[in-house]
Amino acid sequence: MSRKFRKPISRRDFLKLGAAGAGSLAASNFVMWLSGCTSGTGGEATTLNVLTPAAPDPAPPGVADFSMDAFAKWQADNNATVVYESPPWPQLHDKMATNFASGQYVHDCMYNCGWVPEFAEQLIPFVDDLPKELIDDLPASSFSTVTWDGKRLGVIFTLSLLTLFYNTEHLAEAGISEPPKTWDELLGFAKEMTHDGKFGWVLNYGAPEGIGGVTSYWMVFLQQAGGTMWGSDGMAAFNNSAGVDGLQFMIDLMPYTDPGSISYVGINDATNVFTAGHATMMMNWPFMWVPAQDPETSKIVGKVDTSVLPAGPAGTASIDGTDAYTIGKSSPEPELTTKLIEFYLDKEVQKRQVIDTGWLPIRLSVLNDPEVQAAASNAAAVLEQAEAPYDSFVTPDYNEVTDTMGREIQKALQGTQTAAETMAISEQLVNDIVSKRLG
Amino acid sequence: MKKNLSKVILQIFLISFIFLALGPILWAIVTSFLPLSSLTAKPIDLDPTKFSLRNYFEVLDTSRGLLSGLINSMIIATFTASVALVVGSAAAYALARLSLPGSNFILLAILATQMFPGIVIAIPLFIVMSRLGMIDTHFGLMFVYLSFVLPIVIWILKGFFENIPIQLEKAAAIDGATNSQTFRFIILPISLPPLFATGVFAFIESWNEFFFAIILTRINVKTAPIAISEFAGQYRTLYGQMLASAVLASLPVVILAIVFRKFILEGFVEGAVKT
Amino acid sequence: MSRSSLSSSLNEIRTAGKYQRSRLRMGILFSLPAIFILLAVLAYPIISSFILSFQDVRLAAGGIVTEFIGLENYAKIFQDAAFRNAFNNSIYFTVIEVVAVTILSLGLALILNHPLGRPAIYRVVLLIPWALAPVANAVLWKWIYNANYGVLNAIVVGLGLSETPIVWLGSPFLALNMILIADVWKAIPFITLLLLAGLQNIPRRLYKAALMDGATSWQQFMHVTLPGLRTTLIISIVLQSIWALKVFDLVFVLTKGGPADGTVLLNFLSWRVTFNYLNIGYGAAIANVLFLLMFLLALAYIRALRPRSSSNK
Repeated sequence: MSRKFRKPISRRDFLKLGAAGAGSLAASNFVMWLSGCTSGTGGEATTLNVLTPAAPDPAPPGVADFSMDAFAKWQADNNATVVYESPPWPQLHDKMATNFASGQYVHDCMYNCGWVPEFAEQLIPFVDDLPKELIDDLPASSFSTVTWDGKRLGVIFTLSLLTLFYNTEHLAEAGISEPPKTWDELLGFAKEMTHDGKFGWVLNYGAPEGIGGVTSYWMVFLQQAGGTMWGSDGMAAFNNSAGVDGLQFMIDLMPYTDPGSISYVGINDATNVFTAGHATMMMNWPFMWVPAQDPETSKIVGKVDTSVLPAGPAGTASIDGTDAYTIGKSSPEPELTTKLIEFYLDKEVQKRQVIDTGWLPIRLSVLNDPEVQAAASNAAAVLEQAEAPYDSFVTPDYNEVTDTMGREIQKALQGTQTAAETMAISEQLVNDIVSKRLG
Repeated sequence: MKKNLSKVILQIFLISFIFLALGPILWAIVTSFLPLSSLTAKPIDLDPTKFSLRNYFEVLDTSRGLLSGLINSMIIATFTASVALVVGSAAAYALARLSLPGSNFILLAILATQMFPGIVIAIPLFIVMSRLGMIDTHFGLMFVYLSFVLPIVIWILKGFFENIPIQLEKAAAIDGATNSQTFRFIILPISLPPLFATGVFAFIESWNEFFFAIILTRINVKTAPIAISEFAGQYRTLYGQMLASAVLASLPVVILAIVFRKFILEGFVEGAVKT
Repeated sequence: MSRSSLSSSLNEIRTAGKYQRSRLRMGILFSLPAIFILLAVLAYPIISSFILSFQDVRLAAGGIVTEFIGLENYAKIFQDAAFRNAFNNSIYFTVIEVVAVTILSLGLALILNHPLGRPAIYRVVLLIPWALAPVANAVLWKWIYNANYGVLNAIVVGLGLSETPIVWLGSPFLALNMILIADVWKAIPFITLLLLAGLQNIPRRLYKAALMDGATSWQQFMHVTLPGLRTTLIISIVLQSIWALKVFDLVFVLTKGGPADGTVLLNFLSWRVTFNYLNIGYGAAIANVLFLLMFLLALAYIRALRPRSSSNK
């Protein structure tokens, strides 16, 4: 009798052991949580919680590898410990929304990309507390996407505008030495470059929404055609020749566009095609200059150049990547966090940002620094692009608007809808969305 | 002759089965050994000299958090599976053998919890857990995963327990065993196959879960799936590294499944089927 | 039916002797931890999401602001073209997946049950797709389907089946089917194991009896195998349906619902509305409709499993 029972007891004991082991771990978690409940005494470093994307997406020192000494010094000088949370990029918005919905304090400083108006009620207008010499050193138009209701709620930390990337070798083979300067030239060049499995144009039309989605790309052409997204009443103002022409141009480009474009959800998928030498031209962000020059990932090192986007009927225009830092209302340390953001925007830090990671600075003085211009050969083109309009038309319902319009634009690009129909349908749908907010 | 023909056809099916089942995985492994420039060549550049372990070294760099992700996943999955077995087998036995009012209703309710799309319970769950301070803790995530795997564990084990001949328990009762002793010394020992099967199932489910891991953790408790998805950024997706990390993250689970394959199969025979 | 059984159980408890009462006590004790965990974790979120679906929920400073609007969210569902689209996609997706998985798994299980398929290697191979993390699975298939560099196109073009690379995720219907293929591939192992177990449960003497009656292989399959597998088949179909309706990772990673909403499934729509548009109330309503769909399916399962008058030959 006893022998029969000895084995089962030991197996159960094993289970118990495993549960006990993990249980003690859980208990230690509990104890740590309890101790965390009691607030620290004076002299202890203040903790700042920062939410950022993971590198190589735009990230501050500590997440990305630059200015680490200066960062350590800043923390020591200010008696602060900066704790980073860096979820994968696609989950950033979800996490922020969940954190805000809970009403709890989670982060002091958050990275934002086109969501500032959406989260406007959760952020504080700290920009006015920044030193004047810093604000004067920033392009005034960079504040348009982080301002809502008259309050400046964030500060862009990298000049990220779409410019034209092109393959100089492909163009040279056709006897072209200069990039296209107008829509007609772009269309003509794209046509000439499309042969033998290579295409003149590639872009990621697969994702409808957000900055870098197909709607935002159309906004580029909308502005180049002299149009604008919103009227003074906040309703749709794009159902006109500018909107239609902008979309029509994208449709006209389709025969010379890599057919995979409609399935590319991320900019990297389109960039892969470009850097493999299978497409001649694309619109891209300044940061993508880095992988284009990297022999590990690019086959066109030394054969790629960038320029201002070709001009439409109203000249050239672009959109803002809107990578900004913001401060949450629930933060118990708004002054210290403002200082942290000042640190991120410090001249030296901004310089290391571009030289070490490839993300352009936003400070005009740093952009014009000859050392920076030498290190980032694309800076000049981006600066020139910044002289033209680059509105991203961000509103609180930006996600829903771009998502809804993006679907219609995708249909037009696939040829199942005309540009005029798309604009009309989109105007209707967008106004429905906006009127819910405007009441 | 006809028998030989059918054997050959069967053999062909078996081989194509292996190819179809493993093909994508083999491709993942091949991709993980190549640099991006090889992968974007037309046609694909399968030059053996380009194969390297570079992607693996890069993903194992501590800054990418894959190793700590694997450790966190191991802790959470092991704990979840163990507790699910202990708690679930007890509940399954109660529902199978011990009289419990409204057991049918309880069973249906338990299964119903499986049907709730995670999306919508995420925000309320986050609010509750953050007020309780359980965000970014091993314990918090384990607790949540328990609620996900318990229903299936209970259903499978209940089916099995119901099919154990009642004479065994009656004999034990006559020998003076209490309910609890009968459970521990008679029922459990002969239930090892379905216990292992459901244990492995619970382990795999907890190991692979992604959505709630993202919502309910921040820095300290990053699990393996989160570490994998971090290679897909907004601006760069490092396919080779991502697949290398996916291969590494799947290894423990695959090994576990292989080691316990006998039990998994028997477990299904005994448990899930005889409901 | 449950009401009378509940009252009869209560009656039993009252008139029961000491042994019965101790069984009841043990019964409650044994099941309490599990029920406690389930209630503690899920009760508030489920009830909360139910309530949220009747409200207009907006983010505001300090949390969320809710306003009771009755059935407005549900009324909106019926007028919403996006919902109808997602619903149709989900129904198509679920039906095809369940049919494909069931048939393929059954065939695979039959092969693996055959002496030739006995070696353990086949079972091991079967487990590997099951063990792969869903996130990894999604990225893998995204890479396989890549229009320019995917291995699928390399094979298709290499074999001469197509002149130019096919954009697998480029047209709505094709993309939906490619996602279907990826999910079917992932789902087959578990169901095959289930069916294989069911096959091994069928007593061999039934086959011997059929053989002695002069039945062909096909007749054996129809009259011994299928009836014997009835329970297992129903379990598989219900589980598969629930899981097919919950598909999310594949859509999120491969197509984000595109192109032109062609691959939006109900679960993905619920996520998009809740987290992207921050219309939490409406998202909750969609999720509740999804839940109702699955619940009805499960009820059908319970009904189908109830012992009928024998239909075995």
